[in-house]
Amino acid sequence: MLAQGLELLIDGLARGVILSLFGLGITLVFGLGEILNLLLGVFAVISVIACSMLLGTLPGLALAGLVAVALVAVALVALLALVLDRTVISLVYREEGEDRILLGIFVTLGLSLLFEGLLFIYYPGSVFLDVGVPSITVAGASLTGSSIAVIAAAAVLFGLIYYFFNHTYLGIGTRTVIQDETGAMLCGIPPRRVQAIVFVLSAAIAGVAGVFYALEAEVTPASSFSLTSFAIMVSIVGGVDSISGTVAAGIVLGIIMTVAGALFGSYLSTVTLFAAAIAVLVYKPEQIS
Amino acid sequence: MNANNTLSSIRGQLPIIAVFAALVLVPPLFFDPSTTYLSRRFITVMIFAIFAMALNIIFGETDQLILFMGGIAAVGTYTTVLTAEYFAVSPWLTLFVGAFVAGVFGGLVCYVAARRQFTVIVLAIVTFAFQMIIMEVIVGLRDITGGTTGIPFRDLELPAVESLTGLGPFAVQFYVLVGVFAVVFALYTWLTNSKYGLAFAAIRQDEFAARATGIDVIRLKVFAGFISTFIIGFVGPFYAQTTGIVIPGLFSFNGVDVLVLIILVLGGLRSRLGPLVGAAIVIYLDNLLSQFGQWRTVAFGLLLTVLFIYFQDGILPMAKSLYEERGLRDRLTGLRSGE
Repeated sequence: MLAQGLELLIDGLARGVILSLFGLGITLVFGLGEILNLLLGVFAVISVIACSMLLGTLPGLALAGLVAVALVAVALVALLALVLDRTVISLVYREEGEDRILLGIFVTLGLSLLFEGLLFIYYPGSVFLDVGVPSITVAGASLTGSSIAVIAAAAVLFGLIYYFFNHTYLGIGTRTVIQDETGAMLCGIPPRRVQAIVFVLSAAIAGVAGVFYALEAEVTPASSFSLTSFAIMVSIVGGVDSISGTVAAGIVLGIIMTVAGALFGSYLSTVTLFAAAIAVLVYKPEQIS
Repeated sequence: MNANNTLSSIRGQLPIIAVFAALVLVPPLFFDPSTTYLSRRFITVMIFAIFAMALNIIFGETDQLILFMGGIAAVGTYTTVLTAEYFAVSPWLTLFVGAFVAGVFGGLVCYVAARRQFTVIVLAIVTFAFQMIIMEVIVGLRDITGGTTGIPFRDLELPAVESLTGLGPFAVQFYVLVGVFAVVFALYTWLTNSKYGLAFAAIRQDEFAARATGIDVIRLKVFAGFISTFIIGFVGPFYAQTTGIVIPGLFSFNGVDVLVLIILVLGGLRSRLGPLVGAAIVIYLDNLLSQFGQWRTVAFGLLLTVLFIYFQDGILPMAKSLYEERGLRDRLTGLRSGE
């Protein structure tokens, strides 16, 4: 019983940190620039596919190889995000207020359909990054190796993100723009440049989250949409402009979803996530408006 | 003076009369009993035109963006089909039950949204989450809904009318949908020309000012929400009828909401004939692109992006303003009078 609880907790925690990363991807861009980035899942899927293609060309790589390959894949996704930011997303940033929010939804929705279609055409299969991390037995509980690897890697990543937002000039500047775009501009921080950097950063985070996700589950081009919707829900539960809130929400929801899934079946675990988001929106709508 | 007024008002209505006349002529001209494919496409155009008209009422008039049209259509359809099965009656009777349940659900969401003063984005996300939940629940409740295997459904036919008029089942279904479209069209025209239209405009301009002038904003938003979702729930079963099976995949976000949004923006928000024009173009494109497999998704994605960035006002209103601004109208009248 206790062993099973521990297994669930570790798997839930792993799922939780992945959800946190996806949620962060939404929070950073929406909190900062009011664009609800429906492309986020696409970035994750592209990174996973790039990873699997690179692994295919370089067979026999161990875990260290995967880390290097994942970094290359994430860099590719970041580059794509930069190109999109400089072109289409710039047109969205020209608008202000509610117009920007609406245009952001529709433009990123259009782009996500476009990329999803392209992914289906050129890479229709499903990807599962099996790196064969062995399970560990602790106190009679058999803990999934990939879950532990994900938790460890995510802990390092969260540390880096924390350092970026609290101890670097750019990170603090970013938080200033989140607080008040005009105020930041008056302090000499160019919002548009910060928005571009954060857009690229959020795509990279989604890329990493995608690779983590693919260690535990299959990813297909069709996954991109559900990954985006998971990310939005986590971001909302955490409060869309709170970085730490999103991380906490992701972890809590990941554990709840895993437990609900084990007890009542997988479809109810998804319902739990969406229901939590609806409840938060109904009781605290001002959080995101 | 009066005669002149009547004449000019009739002249103003001419395009609408022409459009409905053309719709009535569609089955004899295009419906071929040997292939059902084309007939089905025309029926789909009508269904999506009605969906877009419903979105026009809720989003166009009261600025409430809903992203669960597929889910609402599913609620209406499953309620209609399941209650018809349970009580062993014709789905023509339970059609209104399904629509009513969909309407109450939509109205309730709008009530909470208006009460808690949701912004456009909050309502959009809430309804989007509902869309996901509805889909998950339908798939999960396999014993009742048949899960992803679905429920065969073709009972919205009128054999008596078919034998009486000698029309095929597709022609009858098309005329029924033209009738529904006409009712929704009349309702929308009446709504926008009545005091409701004025109140909707006030809400769109400035909700707080509208409230200050004594407009019951919550009641109006719920009213618009109920009507829209009632219409969507009502048309849902006809949509399922075209495929002959009720499956959750039919009502997905990409399958319904994305198409309806493109249709409405293409046709022009708050335009009365826009939904029909938009639906005709989009369903035609869909038909054209379906042979290219996934390129269809790519093309729709591109279309949605370009439309929203450059043609937010819609093709019909844009063509109209071009026609008026560039003096085309004057030149055409000049041509007619031989000047």
